Amino acid sequence: MGTSKAERLADEELMPRIGEKDPNAFEVFYDRHGGVAYSLAYRIVGERGAAEDVTQEAFISIWRSGARYDAARGSVRTWMLGIVRNRAIDFLRSKAGRAPKLDFNDDSILEHRPAAEQTESEALQRETAQEVRGALDELPGEQAKVIQLAYFGGFSHSEIAGMLGVPLGTVKGRMRLGLEKIRGELAEGLT
Amino acid sequence: MSENGHDRHRDELAAYLLGALEPGEAAELERHLAGCEECRTELEWLRPAVQLLPESVERVEPPPQLRGRLMEQVRAEAASTPESRPARRWSIGGRSLRPVAGLAAIVLVVAAVAAYAIGNGGSGGGGNSTTVVSGHSPGVVAQVVSDGDSGTLHLANLHRLPPDEVLQAWVQRGERVESAKTLFVPNQDGTASATIDDMDGVSTVMVTAEPRGGSVQPTSKPIASVSMPQ
Repeated sequence: MGTSKAERLADEELMPRIGEKDPNAFEVFYDRHGGVAYSLAYRIVGERGAAEDVTQEAFISIWRSGARYDAARGSVRTWMLGIVRNRAIDFLRSKAGRAPKLDFNDDSILEHRPAAEQTESEALQRETAQEVRGALDELPGEQAKVIQLAYFGGFSHSEIAGMLGVPLGTVKGRMRLGLEKIRGELAEGLT
Repeated sequence: MSENGHDRHRDELAAYLLGALEPGEAAELERHLAGCEECRTELEWLRPAVQLLPESVERVEPPPQLRGRLMEQVRAEAASTPESRPARRWSIGGRSLRPVAGLAAIVLVVAAVAAYAIGNGGSGGGGNSTTVVSGHSPGVVAQVVSDGDSGTLHLANLHRLPPDEVLQAWVQRGERVESAKTLFVPNQDGTASATIDDMDGVSTVMVTAEPRGGSVQPTSKPIASVSMPQ
């Protein structure tokens, strides 16, 4: 299949092509998502060279396992970003001498959820980066911090409690309140 | 499940979505979720807040060479995929390799201790320059396809790596061994490919297993090494 034809396909239609080892389909997939993938990897590992390695490793993994993607279990973009995050966090933990906490079972990234619940989630995916950043910016600092340490730092709640010198229950509470506020902001007009 | 147990698990839903629970805690929560519709509903309501966190990061333009390296590797792997290239094969030691068209030079190497004698005897490779092989992976087959200043290393019959290891390619120029700046992992079928950007003056291409992230110098014996014709 030519690149121009692949460009007209949705992500979910590209994945079977990638599973059939079509380089043009993969090229289109990278052009669509390589930017956000590299940005996420760089946000987590903080070094351009390492971010390149992480992104390359994640995309090669997708190239080799594209056939395992299941559209019924989540969006391609969410699946791809989960793979990038897993590898970036693993890189961080290896570098810091911490035991890897995440496995490399990319299938586990796909959530198990009823089809009816996907519609709203896919609509939310279309929220702009600015809106998400706005929701994060509006969080109280202590809530944003625990969320960022967990998601972008790969720290467990007990590690975060130790770092901040606060009880474990406080960390859990801040995570919950923070996510509820983000979700509430994103849900405006959609629920 | 007691009310206290339910509340405790509900309080952990956000940490679970953020990947911040320890594995044992996550497993316990998953068991609770299987029987608690209220928690499942809340989990699914919260999930998009985490899914959208990657979208919040400041955009950084990926370097163009990343795309180039990726596509080179992908096209090389596609070219060596049986269903994508029904072409003639060379058979080496009972294994077959597919040729890649339009390439300037091809070196085939059987990387197995058993094949060492064949390589030394000068009878392997059907007239192509053949060499090598030491290492701990009997049966590994290596092929370097050079094209101008660059080259592509193809490997077959590789063993699965531990999750904390990657393969790293090295090039030797004179006495000096340098990283080819290529990290990769085997496919599920035991094949792998890697691009060597600069083949100028390279006498040997080697592959070692290294800790994830790569090493400055090889830290293990080569799985395969390929001597290039000079």
